[in-house]
This record gives sequence, C-alpha cells and structure tokens, in this order.
Amino acid sequence: MLFYYIKLAIYSLKRTPLLSFLMISTISIGIAATMITYTVSYMMNKDPIPSKSERLFTVHLSTWGIDNMYRMRDGKEEIPVFVTYQDAMNLYNAQKAPKQTIIGSYKAMTRSSEQPVKDATSTYIRSTTYEFFEMFNTPFIYGSGWSASEDEEGAQVVILSKKRNEKLFGGQNSIGKEVLIGGILHRVVGVFDDWPLIPRFYLEEFDALTEVRDMFVPFRTQMNNEWVASKDSSIYCWGEFELSDFHSVINSECVWLYFWIELESAEHRDEYLDFVNNYAQEQRLLGRFQREQMNRVLDVNESINHSNVMGDDSKVAVWLAAAFLFACLLNSMSLMMTKFHGKGGEVGLRRAIGASRQDIALQFGLETFIVGLLGGIIGLGLANLGLLVTAEVYSHLNAELMKMNIEIVITTLLLSIVTSTLFGLYPIYRACKIEPSSQLKSL
Amino acid sequence: MLKMRGVAKSFITDTVKTQALHPFDLEIQQGEFVAVVGPSGSGKTTFLNIAGLLEEHTEGQYFLDEKETTGLSDKFKSSLRNQKIGFIFQSFNLIPELNLFDNVEMPLRYRDFSAKERSERVLNALEQVGLAGRKSHYPQQLSGGQQQRVAIARALAGSPSFLLADEPTGNLDSKMAEGIMSLLKDINKQGTSILMVTHDMDQAQQASRIVEIRDGYLNEQKVAKTA
Repeated sequence: MLFYYIKLAIYSLKRTPLLSFLMISTISIGIAATMITYTVSYMMNKDPIPSKSERLFTVHLSTWGIDNMYRMRDGKEEIPVFVTYQDAMNLYNAQKAPKQTIIGSYKAMTRSSEQPVKDATSTYIRSTTYEFFEMFNTPFIYGSGWSASEDEEGAQVVILSKKRNEKLFGGQNSIGKEVLIGGILHRVVGVFDDWPLIPRFYLEEFDALTEVRDMFVPFRTQMNNEWVASKDSSIYCWGEFELSDFHSVINSECVWLYFWIELESAEHRDEYLDFVNNYAQEQRLLGRFQREQMNRVLDVNESINHSNVMGDDSKVAVWLAAAFLFACLLNSMSLMMTKFHGKGGEVGLRRAIGASRQDIALQFGLETFIVGLLGGIIGLGLANLGLLVTAEVYSHLNAELMKMNIEIVITTLLLSIVTSTLFGLYPIYRACKIEPSSQLKSL
Repeated sequence: MLKMRGVAKSFITDTVKTQALHPFDLEIQQGEFVAVVGPSGSGKTTFLNIAGLLEEHTEGQYFLDEKETTGLSDKFKSSLRNQKIGFIFQSFNLIPELNLFDNVEMPLRYRDFSAKERSERVLNALEQVGLAGRKSHYPQQLSGGQQQRVAIARALAGSPSFLLADEPTGNLDSKMAEGIMSLLKDINKQGTSILMVTHDMDQAQQASRIVEIRDGYLNEQKVAKTA
C-alpha cells in the first residue's frame, strides 16, 4: 500500500506542476535560509573539544590597580582574559597542573630559506610551549611538536600549517627544512594537518573564528629574540610601561598572554583555583593585585560563553530565519489547502468506493511527506550554495564555519519533512472531512 | 439482500426541520433490477446516498445482506461499501492521471487482495465491458460511452452484491446510452442486483421494478413490460 500511495503522490504532484513547484520551492527557500544561519550558529556553538572540554581551563587574574579598573561589561567589573608575562611564567614554573601552556603572538616577515628576500611575507606567528599540542589534540601530517628541551632552550624550530607548507614546500614532507622568521633560520619540526577547530576556543573572541596560524614557534624562542609586537597583538596595560621597550613590557602589568591548564578531571578545578588565589595573595604582599580579587578558571565552554563568540546578532539572525521559515510553511499550508480542496472529487470517489478517512489521511500524508522531502533536498542544495557565497564574502573567517556536517544535513531533511507534515495536518484533516456524497458530481 | 424498514431522512437547519425522505419500507432481492424515478429535488439522490452508505439515515433500520448498518463506524461502513456496493456515476468519475487498469483497480486497493488477484479481477472486469485491450489507455483517450464502461468495470471488479447507478446514461447520447443499458442488463442477467436512478422512463421500463420518489415519499409502481 505504501508504494501505491507513493505512486499516487507522484501522479498528484505531476498533475498540478505549478502548485507543486510553488509548494516545494516555498519550503526549500525557508529551509535554506534557516539552515544557513543555523549552520553558522551551530558550528560556532558546538563543543570544539568534547573529549576534554571539562578538563581544560583558562586562568584569568585580577591584576589591575586599586584605582584602575580593567573595564566594565554588562554593568559589572571585568577582568582580562590575558595574563602578564611575570604571572604566566610564575604559574607555568609552579607546574601545579599536570599540563599548562602559555600562548603568545607576534608578527614577522617569513620565507623559506630557498626563497628570495622579495618573496618574504608578513606572518602572524603563534608562540607557545611544547604542552600545547597534546593539550589541544593538534593533528600533524608530518613530524610533531617540539620537545621539552627545545622548549626550554628556546630552539629555533617552527611548526607550519598545512596551507603554509603547501605554499613554501609544495605540500611535501618539509621536516628538517629551514624557514626564515624575522631573518633568523628556524628548522621545521612539524606540519599541522587540517585543524578545523571552531571556535578556536583558546583565543579571545576576535580570533576565535579564524583559521589556525601559519607558524608556531616556542614561546622561549620569542622571548630570547625579544619579539613583542605590541602593535600586532592584543595588549592591555596599566601602571608604568613603555611598549617599544621589550624589558619594560615583560616587567610591566601589561597583559597579553593566554594561560591554559589541563587537569586530570573537572573535580580538581577548585584545588587549582585555591592555588591561583594563594598566588594572588602572595603577589598582594609584594604590592600587586590590589583590587578585590575576582580570579577565575573557566573551562572551554564557559570560556566560549564568556567570550560571547556567538554574539547576540547571530542569535537574532537564527530567530529571524526561523520566523521566515514559519511564514514559508504557512504559505505552503495555504497552497496545500488549495491543492487538496481541488482534489475533493477524487476524495469523494475514493471514499465512495471504500477508502476510509484513515486511507485518505495516509494518501495525502505521504504526498505532504514527499513535498517536505523534496523541499528538504532542494533546500539543502540552496543552503550549501548560500554557505559557499557566505564563505566567499566572509573569507577572513574559518571556512569550516560555513560547512554542514552530517548531523546538520540530517537535521535539515528532518526539519523539512516534520514541519511540512505538521503544517500539512490541517489541510489533510480538511480533506478527510470531505463528505463523499457532496463531491461525486464534481470530479 | 437490501432491506429498509421505516427509513427516513430529515435535516435541521436554523431550527427548521426539512423532511427529505418520509419513512418508507423497501426490500430488494438478489438478482433484481430496480429503477428509481422521480422529478428533480424529490429526494432521489438522498435515497441513493443512504442506500450507498454515503449518508446516514435519521430514522429506521437499513440491513445490507442481513447486516444492520445504522450507526456503524466510518471504517466499517467504508469496508462495507467496498465489498458490497459497486458505484456507477453519471459523470463516470474516472481519475484522469490513472490509466484504465489503475482506475479499475482502485477499489481493490482498499482490500487485502494480492497483486496477482487484483490483476486478474481487473482484466476480467475490463473483459466483461469489452475494453480489455485498452487497459493502458487513459480516460481522456476514450469516448463517453467507453468511459462509462470503464466505470462499470471498476464497479464490478470487487464482485459487489449490487450496483448503485446514478443516472448512468445521463451524459451520453442515445446510441451510447443504449449500449450501456444493454451492458447493465447483461450484468443483471448474470446475477448482480442493480439499483438505478434515472429520469428516463424508457430506461426505467427495462428494469424489473420501478420505485418512484415524489416530494420525499417513496412508492412502488407497476412495471408495464414492453419487451
């Protein structure tokens, strides 16, 4: 019987091609608009590292002066997401967590040793410690992260992104090859594989949707070379400082480094916070940390929420798109009413020759299902097209944001089928209520 | 086969009661050919709808093959219509996007027949009306008379107890109408009862009994046999 109803549904769609086209396209446009905004929002909000998002924490410290508040946010005092060089080093050297890492940033001219000087490009570089790669499950196609000893001595080593490796070395295994960073030779020790981490939670909100940086070097190497580019990275200061002077910056209260830890389990969080507060008290005795202490350790999802990566605008956009889908479905419902009304004669005939109301409901229900399925499939195509265009327009954002995963593909089809069937219920109910005796002269 | 006792139908609209059919008794035996005549608006269609279980009567009892039909559920009545009654309409009521085979097969789809049995029944029914060779044609490719033959095949395919024909020749010219009447008489001779509503007294005279409905009253007429 199911195949019979499918056959009837296809005949019925063919019989009124314009109505069928309008119904399917109305649903597909609504589905596409909703799924474009939903995809971006979903990719922004999903847990980027589910295996350990409850065990990875970032540390925020209340380092601002007694008369200087860092800033206000939503009517409350806010503390920075960055820490100072001296705090980063103190926390790192304390080794209180099983793993901890410092994350910094700078910019330099870079090229491979085989390239002429004119081919050098200005590159944003990420500096960090050797623990970073294991903590954040970084994928490598060649090599690996640098060693603890290379980290300690500040070796001239570099890890390339897949993209940069393709640009500099044609995608070949480049381990052992040399790259010039700021005129200093660095040996390639690893090449990342694709690393579509969304959001890039270990960074602040402005950077969280960008792609991975093209070069990673040891933090100690950056420090040994005295590279602190205040113009090229986020740096917030109070007290006495001279941004152009490396030593002034690292001894100042300027904050510019991320500090992340990995604990054995989420239960150890309070223990670590106690350590951080004790550290703050010690510093207070030395004349620092004079404000009321608001130190905190945030896990991955708390950190994402705090950064407000999603932003209120995108939430509004999702709601608007859902409202648009609702309007499209109402439209499609009225088209279905018209269509099923036009089939009153056929309903009357089928009822007369033995179809029960249930049979009629099944027949039209399946037709609605097929309309929803076709609307979903076309909507999926349109949504992917829309995401491609969006990715082109917002080329500075991580392209993975604009890609549907299998869950979203299935959600799209289900959403289309379920909503169109739901909105088809009333027209179907009306069709089932048709009295056969009133229609038999109208076929 | 069909027994009505004190059956009546009234409508109540805005506190006004309209008696469409006054209480009547009627009995039709297996193999009878009964014509129902009467002027427009007399209650013929209401009578036919009640007989065909398409409308509920408001008084009395209606037995179909000894089965009381009053107050049955929609599902049960649908199943009774499917198994016991074959409908033939004035305007043929064929589905234009289905070919003849699929049109005739329609009532069988609501019964538990295997595909093979359905196919056999459809081909037999088409054979009976002389259209077996055109099973893949579509209704619009046929003449009015041929379309009505398909509708008759559809009514016969499920081997019903009786055929309910509502002005079966109303949309046909006299030659085609003659052909259809002749076909109906043949079917009747093979044992299928027929209840036919008609305006045409000549056709009514060809039935074994005539029932007249006038102003909602049902009366039996004597048939003056012409043949």
